[in-house]
Amino acid sequence: MFKSHCDPTFSRTFTLKDLLTKINNIATQQFQAQYSEARAQKLTKTMLNLKEKRVEAARQGIENGIAIRVLVNGAWGFASVGSVDMPILKTAVSDACKMAKLASARLKAPIKLASSKVIQDRVVAKPQKNPSEISIEEKIKTALTISKSSLGFDKRVKSCGIDYMDLTGNSYFMNSEGTCIEQDKLYVWARITASARSNNIFTFSREEIGSTFGYEIFDEYAPEDLGKKVAQRAIQQLAAKSPKGGKFPVVIGSNVVGVFVHEAFGHLAEADLALSGGLLTSNMNKKLGSDLITFYDDGTIDGSFGAFKYDDEGVASSKTLLIKDGVVTGLMHNRETAQKFNTEPTGNARAEDFRVEPIIRMRCTYMAPRDRTFEELFEGVKFGYYFKSYRGGQASLDGTFQVGIQEGYEIVNGEIGAPVRNASISGNTLETLHKVDAVGKDFALDPGRCGKGQIAFICDGGPHIRLSEVVVGGIA
Amino acid sequence: MALLENNKMIFLAENAVKAALKRGAHEAEAYVYEGQATNVGIELGQISKTSRIIDRGLGIRAVFSKATGFAYTNITDDSQTVEKVAEKALNSARASKPDPEWRELPQKKEYSSTKRTFDQRIVDLNSEDIVGIASTMLDAAGGVDKRVFPIDGGVGCGYISNAIANSNGVSGFDKGTIVECSIAALGKEGRSVTPVCFEFNVSREYNLDPEWVGREAAKLAVSAIKPKSIETRSAKVIFTQFALQELLGYTLVNAIKVDSVQRDQSPFKGKIGEKVASENLSIYDDGLFDGGLRTSILDGEGVPHQKTVVIEKGVLNNFLYDSYSAKKEGKESTGNASRAGYLSTPNIDTTNFHIIPGNKTSDEMLREVDDGFIVYYLQGAHSSNPVSGEFSVVATPAWRIERGEITYCSRGVMLAGNVFELLKNISIVGCNERQMGSLIAPWIMAENVRVIGK
Repeated sequence: MFKSHCDPTFSRTFTLKDLLTKINNIATQQFQAQYSEARAQKLTKTMLNLKEKRVEAARQGIENGIAIRVLVNGAWGFASVGSVDMPILKTAVSDACKMAKLASARLKAPIKLASSKVIQDRVVAKPQKNPSEISIEEKIKTALTISKSSLGFDKRVKSCGIDYMDLTGNSYFMNSEGTCIEQDKLYVWARITASARSNNIFTFSREEIGSTFGYEIFDEYAPEDLGKKVAQRAIQQLAAKSPKGGKFPVVIGSNVVGVFVHEAFGHLAEADLALSGGLLTSNMNKKLGSDLITFYDDGTIDGSFGAFKYDDEGVASSKTLLIKDGVVTGLMHNRETAQKFNTEPTGNARAEDFRVEPIIRMRCTYMAPRDRTFEELFEGVKFGYYFKSYRGGQASLDGTFQVGIQEGYEIVNGEIGAPVRNASISGNTLETLHKVDAVGKDFALDPGRCGKGQIAFICDGGPHIRLSEVVVGGIA
Repeated sequence: MALLENNKMIFLAENAVKAALKRGAHEAEAYVYEGQATNVGIELGQISKTSRIIDRGLGIRAVFSKATGFAYTNITDDSQTVEKVAEKALNSARASKPDPEWRELPQKKEYSSTKRTFDQRIVDLNSEDIVGIASTMLDAAGGVDKRVFPIDGGVGCGYISNAIANSNGVSGFDKGTIVECSIAALGKEGRSVTPVCFEFNVSREYNLDPEWVGREAAKLAVSAIKPKSIETRSAKVIFTQFALQELLGYTLVNAIKVDSVQRDQSPFKGKIGEKVASENLSIYDDGLFDGGLRTSILDGEGVPHQKTVVIEKGVLNNFLYDSYSAKKEGKESTGNASRAGYLSTPNIDTTNFHIIPGNKTSDEMLREVDDGFIVYYLQGAHSSNPVSGEFSVVATPAWRIERGEITYCSRGVMLAGNVFELLKNISIVGCNERQMGSLIAPWIMAENVRVIGK
């Protein structure tokens, strides 16, 4: 793809491989970098934003660029340019090396990298339906179908917004240790939102889908059904009441479990954040939760929105055990943190694109299922809540988390009761991990996008679970 | 990559417009962006990361039979690619259904001038200067208390320029600089760790106070070390700028964008001229504010920036418009088309969202509170209901105010209510204004906020 002669940007004097080799050589030979890596990317994107039945603007993009990262005297230097011109790249690599050297002057603990296997590989995407081969007309048609189905569901549905994105391209990674990886990138994603209004009540509903397989995701999730599902939830909430504030037993669905595992625990298990004073550094191999909980961060689930073969440091992705039966067993690492913890890198270093440096990110983070049926989770709950779907979630390093709920119900005497709206759960993550008293045998994953300065495509999920108590926020 | 002069930027934009028209677009617009950012990063209490990012690109909007298409690239120095992008923009337009409400791209208008948005000293800062600022900040934070750990932060300086041209003769250019430093610190005592406490300085001109930033973040962290729990109650709450940015950003800001109003997603629909907030509250959207972080002579479609009165003494006065939404109502754009770089089409957004300061200092505000709270950082505001304004957020943490003084901090405290009700219960607007992203605001005190303890 990169070496094609009809492509003016990548066919000048050098092949891309030569170019990246040259960059790494300049860093290590002229500037005594201990380590150097260069990433080149060529990406094409299609994005659609629909509001009701109007396409705001169908957008298509072509971008390419190179990222250079060097380690000099134990400090990082990074440079990114949207160019493949050798003179520009020479300036970029020399800037990165010089800046790193300057910063290194005051280092108390120089950065070192854990060793990593030298890899040479070419990873090819094999979509059934490649989004880059699907016409923009077809994509608009799909979005319009979703929108029509949503708006047509009930006349109280007042708006429907659809954001669609696909990304295809090629990513080239080379480092000064001899690793050389060419990897296809392919993502298809859509988010559907609807709002409903009745008298002075406004409600809001959201659904997200995403895949690394291809456009065939719309065969799995039919556009008509997607639109209907979002509309249905918004309508149902019109008749919902506000929850009572206070502590209650709560059953949460896979979708809410996923965002809890991701936000409340996952970020704490990112080794960079764990080192930054998070709770886990001093709690490794300790029991921090109920026997029933086992968490993974897994980059190897084929087709899932968080899957990839190699991360942006050239390390193979893996299935990483974070908690086993309540005991913290591992963290998510890049090569720098793996060295600090004297362990192996886990393949969690990801960069949104060539404009930014790789940082530790989650992939597909979930709780493993156990043995309870759905009905069993509700048994014995006199009054509580069933929170099926989340609106948003957030957590901080001290272990405080908050998850907003977009679909919830009361539980009365073990039965699902009246719907509630605008609820949220919050608390301290570690305390909450001990409150898990029943774990279901079902399992589901949901795609999402996570922000940590950069956007990463991720997945999260798990089974339905029950918390013996958690703080429910509301305005009753 | 050397920075491009304004004539070269405008040339790229005008050239792209021509390319789209030549291929059959009925109207065309091109936006060219260039940015250069140099950063020094603090990790685990030491300066260990540096970066320089240079990004340049162009986005073309092509209109064909009242349908709009868009394409972008960061390959600006290759005429074949620019041609290809013009073609893609036009294809996108051809594939879309005509929009009967489309009128036209903006017409040419005179630009006002702006003040204090560019400082050559920032462009000329070298890596040594930047490392020096980071060191000063780090030392100041470390000097406050042994229990404070600066974990994250950095210093960054940036240069940004934009050029816009369209087939109606619009042709504009603006450039600006920005410099910032920030530090996140936490306090640790035994096994107890505080939430991350954050401070920063940001300016369009080169006048940072890294010592103050380091010291303040550390002081906040120390004050959060020994938390106590509190009972659920309704109380006076002082919202600092951090909290306001979160709380208003997902609700009030959405309500005043006219696209929300037109889509029946704003509780302010039909309420122009009505009282929507306490008379203590006045808000202007001011794209020309001296030294404002979002100040520029033009918006994302080349329309001149202006000052728009949104709320005057509690009364709703106007919404924010881009050119499309304005023409739909037979009005003029308020210059609120915003772009997230060259990768996006214009969207309605605030410029400098200015909450007009009152006359109480921070000490005077605290003295008004016998029994209440002050909140800096909030979590979960993005899960607020953007349409109804209902929110339920966690303060990370909340500080208790007793008899006019901050006495202790409490973790895990939730605040719940409705933003639009809260606006009516604002009793004091302070005079301690500062800038944060799009927000320029002082502290604000609201009465009867539902505070949920453990």
